[in-house]
Amino acid sequence: MAMATTGRQKTGWGTANTVVVVLALIPVLWMVSLSFKTPAAVLDPSFLPAGRQWTWGNYTGILHTSQFIRPLINSIGIGLISTLIAVVLASMAAYAVARLRFPGKAVLIGMALLIAMFPAISLVTPMFNIERSLGLFNTWPGLIIPYVAFGLPLGIYTLSAFFREIPWELEKAAKIDGATPFQAFVKVIAPLAAPGMVTTSILVFLACWNEFLFAISFTSTLASRTAPASLAYFSGSSQFTVPTGPIAAAAVVITIPIIIFVVFFQRRIVAGLTSGAVKG
Amino acid sequence: MSLSAQVAAGTEAVKEEQEGRKRQLSEGARAERRLGWMLCAPAVIVMIAVTAYPVGYAIYLSLERYNLELPQDIKFVGLGNYAAVLSSPYWWQALKVTVVITIFSVAITLVLGMILAQVMHRTLFGRGTVRTAALIPYGIVTVAAAYGWQYAWTPNEGYLSALFNNSAPLTSEYKAIAVIILAEVWKTTPFMGLLLLAGLSLVPEDLQKAAMVDGATAWQRFTKITLPLMKPAILVALLFRTLDSFRIFDSIFILTGGTNNTGSVSILGYDNLFNALNLGIGSAISILIFICVAIIAFLFIRGFGTAAPGSDLGR
Amino acid sequence: MSSGGRRRSTSERRARGRRGAQARRLGIGLAGAALAASALAACGTAGASSGPVTLNFYFYPDNSGATQQAINNCSAQSHGKYTISYQELPTASDGQRQQLVRRLAAHDDTIDIMGLDVTWEAEFAQAGWAEPWTGANKAAAENGTLKPALDTALWKGKLYAVPDNSNTQLLWYNSAEVPNPPKTWAQMLADAAQLAKEGKPHYIEIQGAQYEGATVWFNTMVASAGGTILNPNATKVTLGAPAVKAMSIMKQLATGPGADPSLDVQMENQNRLAMEAGTAAFELNYPFVYPAMKLDNPKLFKTFKWALYPEVTPGVPAKVTIGGTDLAVSAYSQHKALAFQAALCLRDKQNQIIGADVGGVPPTITSLYNDPALFKDYPFHADILSALQHASVRPKTPVYQVVSIDISHLISPASGINPTGTEQSMVSQLNNALQSKGLIP
Repeated sequence: MAMATTGRQKTGWGTANTVVVVLALIPVLWMVSLSFKTPAAVLDPSFLPAGRQWTWGNYTGILHTSQFIRPLINSIGIGLISTLIAVVLASMAAYAVARLRFPGKAVLIGMALLIAMFPAISLVTPMFNIERSLGLFNTWPGLIIPYVAFGLPLGIYTLSAFFREIPWELEKAAKIDGATPFQAFVKVIAPLAAPGMVTTSILVFLACWNEFLFAISFTSTLASRTAPASLAYFSGSSQFTVPTGPIAAAAVVITIPIIIFVVFFQRRIVAGLTSGAVKG
Repeated sequence: MSLSAQVAAGTEAVKEEQEGRKRQLSEGARAERRLGWMLCAPAVIVMIAVTAYPVGYAIYLSLERYNLELPQDIKFVGLGNYAAVLSSPYWWQALKVTVVITIFSVAITLVLGMILAQVMHRTLFGRGTVRTAALIPYGIVTVAAAYGWQYAWTPNEGYLSALFNNSAPLTSEYKAIAVIILAEVWKTTPFMGLLLLAGLSLVPEDLQKAAMVDGATAWQRFTKITLPLMKPAILVALLFRTLDSFRIFDSIFILTGGTNNTGSVSILGYDNLFNALNLGIGSAISILIFICVAIIAFLFIRGFGTAAPGSDLGR
Repeated sequence: MSSGGRRRSTSERRARGRRGAQARRLGIGLAGAALAASALAACGTAGASSGPVTLNFYFYPDNSGATQQAINNCSAQSHGKYTISYQELPTASDGQRQQLVRRLAAHDDTIDIMGLDVTWEAEFAQAGWAEPWTGANKAAAENGTLKPALDTALWKGKLYAVPDNSNTQLLWYNSAEVPNPPKTWAQMLADAAQLAKEGKPHYIEIQGAQYEGATVWFNTMVASAGGTILNPNATKVTLGAPAVKAMSIMKQLATGPGADPSLDVQMENQNRLAMEAGTAAFELNYPFVYPAMKLDNPKLFKTFKWALYPEVTPGVPAKVTIGGTDLAVSAYSQHKALAFQAALCLRDKQNQIIGADVGGVPPTITSLYNDPALFKDYPFHADILSALQHASVRPKTPVYQVVSIDISHLISPASGINPTGTEQSMVSQLNNALQSKGLIP
């Protein structure tokens, strides 16, 4: 790490840094630029809208139509509920994995790994048939249930890695003071685990926020369609505008939460990602 | 959390394991075992209910002739649907597209991810900025990004199309696949880079310095020291990326919708379910994809040996 | 307006619109906008909380305002029995079908009346999603309705929908290049070759891309050659010699001088643009191209003429594929009796006149074609009627999606057709499709 000593090397890495940042951001900036283009400017391939051809219209348009607002609410609601359930269940399991000895632990780990690798499309056909017979089709629970299931492996992996960092002497101390293992979990460990749980929550929420296949497969109306799925059904804010601008604006809106998370929780996300996935 | 921390946690776990053995069969151990099961039960139930049960149901559906439009004609056809899928050129075309996308995007992502990991590892200045910027492609909604790429490659509208002589790559098979791979690489290189960065931090700095003193070139140091030490991290990253790539759906759905022979196996499964409304064929495709994924995972895990992900957790 | 096929990328959807409906409707956009505005105002006042039953009407987005106007008329004429609520489906017809089908598969009871593309009826009937029409409702639906249009709504001897609007293709040509329009395909191909020799615009514009439009072309050719694709109950593939003949003509066009170089990616709108740009001599397309030409190229419009679709067998009128929309009542509706009444109202004479005038969609009631005032912008109404009376219906089968995709994949690109071989592959693929063993790409 301390190798970047000479001035030439510093410039080299500096250039590399800049290249990385530019490559990562250009496609995002293109979306932002597109979202401010007037319908006429959309038909001009230049990267930025020229002259006076920029407008807030695409944003005011989509924010005044239930075609986008309702899916946005669905996305937030379904994402938060799924995250909450998944993180609660995952932290229970992760505590057990990290702290307790019990037969079947390896099976649990294996199962979580299998689900992390599971092809979602394999579930779509049977789940569609199950959901339509149970009345779950096109409802919030119809998406929350699979989201929880797919959030669990991520949660269990990330949290059990975090849980190992916790000073467990405190738990022992609590037990000596007469607390049951459950009380020790709730009163002592849970607060210590909070940072890990925040990280895990972010990762699970991002996964739900991003999900598309289930979202288009198990919904049919605004009642439960999420924001990414709504983009595919966009017809624009008015009939005679090509929906490129509004879709770009909607895409930018659903990217904003991600940028906020990334900017404020960069360290946590990096830690969570690498701990959850790398077990070398 | 770095991997070294985890290694430390691992040794601690070994210690505990030894302690644990002493307590075998005690009252406390039984309570612990019960608590363990109780804490895991909800997660296990949800995971089984949402995956194992539907997969079993999909196997059952895949053995039936089951068109939603023909509710009167539902009947057991044995392996007929599998025969229909495996003898259809559309399945093999979709599989070819999926494999091509997987191989190219994973290979390119690995190389770029390694470079990115080096960049993130070596720089002292602007470290947070680089990581934050790199996390944006990782976090961005795939569908949103896919629209960005689609518009960028639309003739007369997109800057990339304009850059390449107003071309329309999304309307021809190979160019469209190249665009899909590009979108995939942009989105997933940061994740690969971060995983490899974690592996990179496992490589002791002293070893590198010693090699440098011995006159090893940067390339020699990379191939002889860094790569072997990073092998487990690389394999894990490759496994996750490969399976992720094999499931590709979102970006193809937006970019081409699977037209011009650009559909992946996931697109094929989706279309046969929601467009043809054929639950039998759709389920057979689902199960075949599941088998492909299982084979890939099996090959990788054999490659890992004892370094399989989670093997330390399961101890 | 037909369609089906498969989901397409946004740009393609945009280019294609609803089989050119968008382009046609642009011309009447202003009037439509004004009407829609007044319609909305009317809606606001009629929102009583109790009393009339609300019927949900799922229909393609009609930007002209004609549909909204018909809805208002019927709600008003029901005397408080029902109000119709317009639920717009997605723009692309595949999207429309997918949304309806998914909701019906989940037994959604909030759908009352549905606008079905003329190729979906067998599927919706066989799946039990569309309620059959019987008794007085059936009689009213059949009374005075164009026979081929009615035929699209029949499945296994029962009526499952009532024809709302219709559409079909004519031959459009530039009379500056072609003083006498060709009567047959052979003549048209020869004319194109002759024009090519003279170095004049000579392309024949037709829908050659791999999508529903190509299936429409093939269906027209097979029917005009005296054949069919499937038997009436969709249990057998019947292609045979007429299909081979159809395929050889299609291949002849694709490999001859009349082929537009971009034939393999062309849909209705690209055909229209090519004709407007003056690079083509002939165009086989829906009547929306006429007002569009008037608007876009007034100079060429002066020599822009129409004729009946060329014959495949000399002396036998071509049987052009019929398009359009039928109205069906959902089997899960909780207000079926009212829904039947409302559907009949939505397509009654008064509202079909509005549909034709404001929306530009050809009626399905034969007598309306005798009303000269109705067609002041449609000088070709007699030819449309004649084409509709001879029209052919695309294969009626519950698995139409798969059948159509198989067909379009085998005949596009048309230059790759090998008539006998392609016919054999088509027979085997369609047989698989009929047994639910067909895959779609």
